Amino acid sequence: MIQNAGLRSRLFDRLLVIALLLVAFLCLLPIWYTLAVSLSEKSAATAGQVWLWPVGFNFNSYEQIMNDGRFFHSFWISIQRVALGAVITIAITTLMAFPLSRNTREFGPRNVFMWILVFTLLFNGGLIPWYMTVKALGLYNTIWGLVLAGGVPVFNVILIVNYFRNLPKELDEAALVDGTGPWRMLFAIYVPLAVPVLATVTLFTIVYHWNEFFHGLVLTSGQDHYPLQTFIQQLVVVIDAANMTEDQYKRMNELSNQTLNAAKIFIAMIPVLVVYLFLQRFFIHGITLGSVKE
Amino acid sequence: MNKKSATLAVTLMAVALSACSQSDNDNNAASTKASTKASTAASTASAGSGSPAASAETQDPFGKYPEQITLTYGKAVDPTDNSLPAGDTPEHNQYSRYILDNLNIDTKVTWQAASGTNYDQKVNLAISSSDLPDALVVKDTQLREMVKSGQLADLTDVFNQYASPAMKNFMEKTGGKSMESVTFDGKMYAIPSIQVQSDGVHEMWIRKDWLDKLGLEPPKTMADLEKVAKAFVEQDPDGNGKKDTIGISGQQNGSKLYANFLESTNNTFGLDPIFGAYKSYPGYWLKDEAGNPVYGSTLPETKEALGKLRDMYAQGLIDKEIGIRKSAYEPIVSGQAGIFFAPWWMGYGPLPDAIKNNPDANWQAYLLPLDADGQFNAHMGAPSTLFVVVRKGYEHPEAVVKMLNLLVRDESKFDISVPVGFYPLRVPMSYTDESEYSAKALKEVLAGTKKPEDFTDPGYKLLAADIQNVTKVKKEPYDNMDIQNWDPKADMGTWSRIYSLLVGSSPLEQDYNKVYSLLYSQTKTMESRWSNLKKLEDETFLKIIMGAAPLDDFDKFVSDWKKQGGDKITEEVKEAVK
Amino acid sequence: MRNRTFAKHYYFMLLPGFVWLILLSVVPMFGIVIAFEDFNPGQGFFRSEWIGFDNFRYMFDLNDTAQIFGNTVFIAVMKIAANLAVPLAFAILLNELRFMAMKRWIQTIVYLPHFLSWVILSGILLDIFSYTGPVNTLLSAFGADPVLFFARADLFPYIVVGSDVWKEFGFNTIIYLAALTGINPSLYEAASIDGASRLRRMWHVTLPGLRTTIVLLAVLSLGNVLNAGFDQIFNLYNPLLYSTGDIIDTWVYREGLLNMQYGLATAVGLLKSVVSFVLIVVSYLLASKFANYRIF
Repeated sequence: MIQNAGLRSRLFDRLLVIALLLVAFLCLLPIWYTLAVSLSEKSAATAGQVWLWPVGFNFNSYEQIMNDGRFFHSFWISIQRVALGAVITIAITTLMAFPLSRNTREFGPRNVFMWILVFTLLFNGGLIPWYMTVKALGLYNTIWGLVLAGGVPVFNVILIVNYFRNLPKELDEAALVDGTGPWRMLFAIYVPLAVPVLATVTLFTIVYHWNEFFHGLVLTSGQDHYPLQTFIQQLVVVIDAANMTEDQYKRMNELSNQTLNAAKIFIAMIPVLVVYLFLQRFFIHGITLGSVKE
Repeated sequence: MNKKSATLAVTLMAVALSACSQSDNDNNAASTKASTKASTAASTASAGSGSPAASAETQDPFGKYPEQITLTYGKAVDPTDNSLPAGDTPEHNQYSRYILDNLNIDTKVTWQAASGTNYDQKVNLAISSSDLPDALVVKDTQLREMVKSGQLADLTDVFNQYASPAMKNFMEKTGGKSMESVTFDGKMYAIPSIQVQSDGVHEMWIRKDWLDKLGLEPPKTMADLEKVAKAFVEQDPDGNGKKDTIGISGQQNGSKLYANFLESTNNTFGLDPIFGAYKSYPGYWLKDEAGNPVYGSTLPETKEALGKLRDMYAQGLIDKEIGIRKSAYEPIVSGQAGIFFAPWWMGYGPLPDAIKNNPDANWQAYLLPLDADGQFNAHMGAPSTLFVVVRKGYEHPEAVVKMLNLLVRDESKFDISVPVGFYPLRVPMSYTDESEYSAKALKEVLAGTKKPEDFTDPGYKLLAADIQNVTKVKKEPYDNMDIQNWDPKADMGTWSRIYSLLVGSSPLEQDYNKVYSLLYSQTKTMESRWSNLKKLEDETFLKIIMGAAPLDDFDKFVSDWKKQGGDKITEEVKEAVK
Repeated sequence: MRNRTFAKHYYFMLLPGFVWLILLSVVPMFGIVIAFEDFNPGQGFFRSEWIGFDNFRYMFDLNDTAQIFGNTVFIAVMKIAANLAVPLAFAILLNELRFMAMKRWIQTIVYLPHFLSWVILSGILLDIFSYTGPVNTLLSAFGADPVLFFARADLFPYIVVGSDVWKEFGFNTIIYLAALTGINPSLYEAASIDGASRLRRMWHVTLPGLRTTIVLLAVLSLGNVLNAGFDQIFNLYNPLLYSTGDIIDTWVYREGLLNMQYGLATAVGLLKSVVSFVLIVVSYLLASKFANYRIF
């Protein structure tokens, strides 16, 4: 009986491994393809001859990027934005989440604030008033514009609120008996227990600030202020064929320089991957605790 | 390059430039003869009075401001460009310095963005938040919005007083079409660009090496075209033993089957000439026999063309994946396609990559196929698609006209190792026949019938450089344009231009039937109805060709189109072109 | 008594967040007025001509309004369901994997496609499903005729949903993985001792442990019921696919190409917000009334 179950379990394990590997392969495909294109000869890539293996293997694209000062300038702006954005967002969202995780008996207007948040999650005034507001606040063309203009990440606040709410109530009671104040309660009791959700929110914030390109375009005066993804995005935007000029015939062809674009996309991905590998510990660690040790 | 030599280069360039500008002034003084004297006097007078004179008489088009003025503008840039010397920026470069030296205008970039979608987005944002720089280059829709919002300065007087004779000459060459496009209620609100007409003519590009191999001639009629396409598909022209070739290649996913009156140029890889061979001009506003406006897509000729295309698609002569392929470049660069339709400038792309993969790919261009009367019919593009506008309330609206005067006068003399796109507020100002004329001139110089000195009109701004460069890439015999008589490796950039001219533009010297749309902008009802009518049209036509809908759906399309606003719009067009 | 003194601190904690919220989210809401205006930038937000519900009326007045709304809701709802279920299933299965190193690698890999934009991914998709692409090669290996996938309006919504899941499920898994860490290990041990099979443990321990997360995500994703994904569809569709693939956002985009339709775009945005808000409020009230459970 027990042996039978063990056998079945092992079969299950094997099927699981195969299924997961298959899924992983499917997810690896696009990035593998991007890498293969970035290492190929341009004419082969334009002809659509590159699929999963580079054609005319070379590092030209990467050399070209390494020699482009603008790329690294934008890279640095992105790093600043991510660092400031992550610290500020985590601090503010955690602070907001704590009072909102109290019930109405402990904090009367809690529901009012909560609904205001949900309301702003769904409603917005559109691009132009937002742009005018950002400009009026003096955030145009500053790093703070990139960090703050996206507004409060309400979804993250709600995630933390719910995580806090699901922590055992006994913690509160014990703390109250000890006479602990709300600030100490948050930082000494709640935050250490909420590491997985805080790691998640940190990750979301970093990914958001790293990938967001539109604010870079709209809220700055030009390339000198672009974060990396805006820098990359502008290289692949479509040219209006009706307004072509002499220089743009050439650029049409440059646009199809898929190899260079692929290399840029690939390089831009590396930092978030490193961050993920680091933060992943917190989830994996959790899973280890959660699963049964044999 | 080390820092020291870079600095040296910059210094040298500055010296060269100022020397150059000196001689420009002299030249100009000689060429514009008497008028110069008068206008110089006028400008001295106005300089003396210290205020921009508002009198109706002509002012010096190149008058230098006695005191430096500032002009702010938004700039479209090419983010892939690496040509600026160290220390120069899109704001401060040889062109901005040239303007400062000659006109005493300090140009400042308020913001910049990549040309295309990004730039448009910034312009839209500036318009809708009424946060405008002094001057901008905008598109037709943006111009209309700005006029409607009352954001623009009236340039009527300024243009009449300050535009140089050369600029006025360019404008007149379009037969009033350019002026019309910037005139609202009798007032001129922008300086229009003047584009080369060759961007709107779609030719047949064909693999001549395949024709030769199969013993065929370039197809003259639709019947010939069918025969050649069939041979390309069935007789293995690339000799790889596989039946993997495409007769006629088409547009990519998301692109247009044919150009239309709102986007009338550069419809690369569409099927425009095939429609033309049936005297069909879908997407254009035409006159019927009674002289009333009709929409080309709704005419019986279009049904006939669609029927033929449907038939050819079913036979496998047109790319199976027309309209859904990832990139239209692919089959051409990989050497699968034998025929495609596009304007003259294919030497810039995709042909460089195509010949890199196969140096024998002998792409040649023709004004074919012909209609039943033996004529080639081309729908022509709008002569102006870009517009320079000035914010209402800017103190020196004439500054913009002066900058463009200067551009028109001196563009041929600039050192174009830095693209002229860096010239502030630059829009193309060309003779509409620039490409054809240049191609003809090059051939005459190569044949020895004319000398480089015979071409002196500075309006053909790149011609001098082209004449100098042509033998770098064109090998003898000079009158044979086949690919083996070229040397692209010598200088790919030069090859792109010269090949585009000699192969791509030469056919345009022939006589052909030029069909213009009655209108190149929208009417009131279009604002609310057009995108839906266009959806109906695009969907129906593509489905008919690919066999997903019967040909007779065309008739239903016509009646739906009329009912859903088409009739009303036709009335409005009638009003507009009266 | 204590609550009252605590409340003062609570307000302090909320202060920075709400200042941020008011300045950058609440203040710009004045822009909603242009949904009811014929917006004229020269006259600005408060002096443009007031046209009431004309922008909305126009939207519902078109011949294919029903089709566009239908496509939008169909694609969006399928996406919502798939993007809740697939990451959930994946997180649970990954949780069962016993090889730590492998778990880590698979998790990293599946999260990769999230970082590629639709411009890139659509190119890859067009390749994969092209006439001579891998999918058709596979089909012909089984003796089937090749299919022009992107000429087939009937298949398009499924390609859209499938590829969206492909791009996002790895990233969406993260929230579930974080929630899994909250499940008390002793529950698994108890189930194990009771002789529960692994499937039963997944069903009786893991799934209930994730319940609050699932409900929260489900309710919040109701906000997307009119968002079918502009970038993705815009980069994939063509006129042959309009009948099933044209959505509200692509339609507004084409409208805006001709004309700077800010009034219309804002009206559409407002409509989406109202619908989402109503759905969320309703589900919140239902949950609290019938399950006595507060979602947030």
